[in-house]
Amino acid sequence: MPITYDIIRKASRDLYEWSLKKVPDDTLEALAQAEKKETKLASRRTLQFMQAAARAAETEDRHACSDAGFPAYFVKIGTKLTLDGDIRRAFVDGFEDLVKTIEPPILKFITHPLTMERSYTGRDMPALSFDVIDGADYMEITCSPKALGSGRWADMKIFVYPKIEEIEAYFMDCVLAAGSQHCPPVIIGMGIGGSFDHAAKMAKKATLRKIGSKHSDPMIQDMEERLLIAVNKTGFGPMGTGGDTTALAVHVDYAHGHSFVPVAVCFNCWINRRTTLRISNDGEVTRLE
Amino acid sequence: MSDEPQPDIVHLNLPLSPEEARSLSLGDMVLLDGEVTVSAGMITQERIIEALESGEDLPFDLQGQAFFHMGSNCREENGKWLPNYVNPTTSTRFDALMPTIIRGLGLTSVGGKGGMGPQCVEAMQEIGCVYFSMPGGASPLLTNGVVERLETGWDDLIEQFRLARYQLKSFGPVTVAIDAHGNSMFQKLQQEAADKLPGILQELAAARQK
Repeated sequence: MPITYDIIRKASRDLYEWSLKKVPDDTLEALAQAEKKETKLASRRTLQFMQAAARAAETEDRHACSDAGFPAYFVKIGTKLTLDGDIRRAFVDGFEDLVKTIEPPILKFITHPLTMERSYTGRDMPALSFDVIDGADYMEITCSPKALGSGRWADMKIFVYPKIEEIEAYFMDCVLAAGSQHCPPVIIGMGIGGSFDHAAKMAKKATLRKIGSKHSDPMIQDMEERLLIAVNKTGFGPMGTGGDTTALAVHVDYAHGHSFVPVAVCFNCWINRRTTLRISNDGEVTRLE
Repeated sequence: MSDEPQPDIVHLNLPLSPEEARSLSLGDMVLLDGEVTVSAGMITQERIIEALESGEDLPFDLQGQAFFHMGSNCREENGKWLPNYVNPTTSTRFDALMPTIIRGLGLTSVGGKGGMGPQCVEAMQEIGCVYFSMPGGASPLLTNGVVERLETGWDDLIEQFRLARYQLKSFGPVTVAIDAHGNSMFQKLQQEAADKLPGILQELAAARQK
């Protein structure tokens, strides 16, 4: 039995709603750990408030943030599965279903980039990214809606034959530019290498990695570790209360390219909206988070 | 954990008088009661400035009031407009407009997230106005401090851009992050981080050698 338009339409609708009403478990755990280590009272109180708000969102079926962002999905398609129907259309229609049925309703956030006009639909909405998983007989979809709060602080620079210290100094410049405006503690993604577009995608995907997960390359593991320490020494703290927790995680990825090296940095705010489900080839849907 | 004293969180009634605003200190955590007008729209602030310049009336009186950079959504129940959710939006994006609005309306408090720039801080000092910083993304708890929506203005705009006047009860806690004496927690943190940066970069260099 193939994976159908109807299954994906419903999956994309449900993923979006889940992402608005649940802070991922790894993120809640990281907030709890941060609260234990935090030395400043106002920062501890802010971390407590965040956790209580996140629990309320989940148990009372409420939005964690009033800004629902715009829809963005990352789709991984197993090479052994069969598809039936218009898959892109399923995401467009799934979002339309969400707008019609979600309670409480979401506001208009999809913005025309030139006229600033707002709507529930738009060109290239939802933003879709497709990838393949060799040999798999399932599909995985991650939804990570994005809004201005943390979205606006992403940045990118193209280096030529950079030293690692230049890359790390640039990373810190991005951290200082954002200050405490991206709703910290944040998850920071950095993509190094490849092409302009590939580096940006790596940075974004790096923010989707689970907190506490390790990169396969020891060189990157070390970089992530020292950069997280460095970010948390800046002292912006939770929501700009000062303190020790400006970031919950720094996730880095890289790709080979040429001797020009794009470096992209992006941020996800503390609610870290991210939900994933898996659809097996027989159409069974499993929520992974 | 530090041994800092645990200060009591006091209640304030909005709108503040300029004197009340001047009595607050940077870092004070407070709960808010009273009335506030909110909007998340750039276009809304542009309209306020147009009205101030032309002498045209605003949909309701904002003189000496509290104005928060906040989006909101309501439902009607038994003739009352109850909030589904409210949440702050980034204030710095209004930096070019807010000094004129703070002065023109004599605002005694502004709320939002992320703070405001130096020219806003200057206007706030002049008028007797503080900035309340609230956590973004903690909507359920913030919304619990909102009693009802009293009225809206400029209803031709989308919901989160309209002017909306709300009744608050124990809203927050929010933090006084810019006081009425020219001090900004955001500027302070930004400066401190910039001062620390050379040392942080040195430590990164040392960590790379390990």
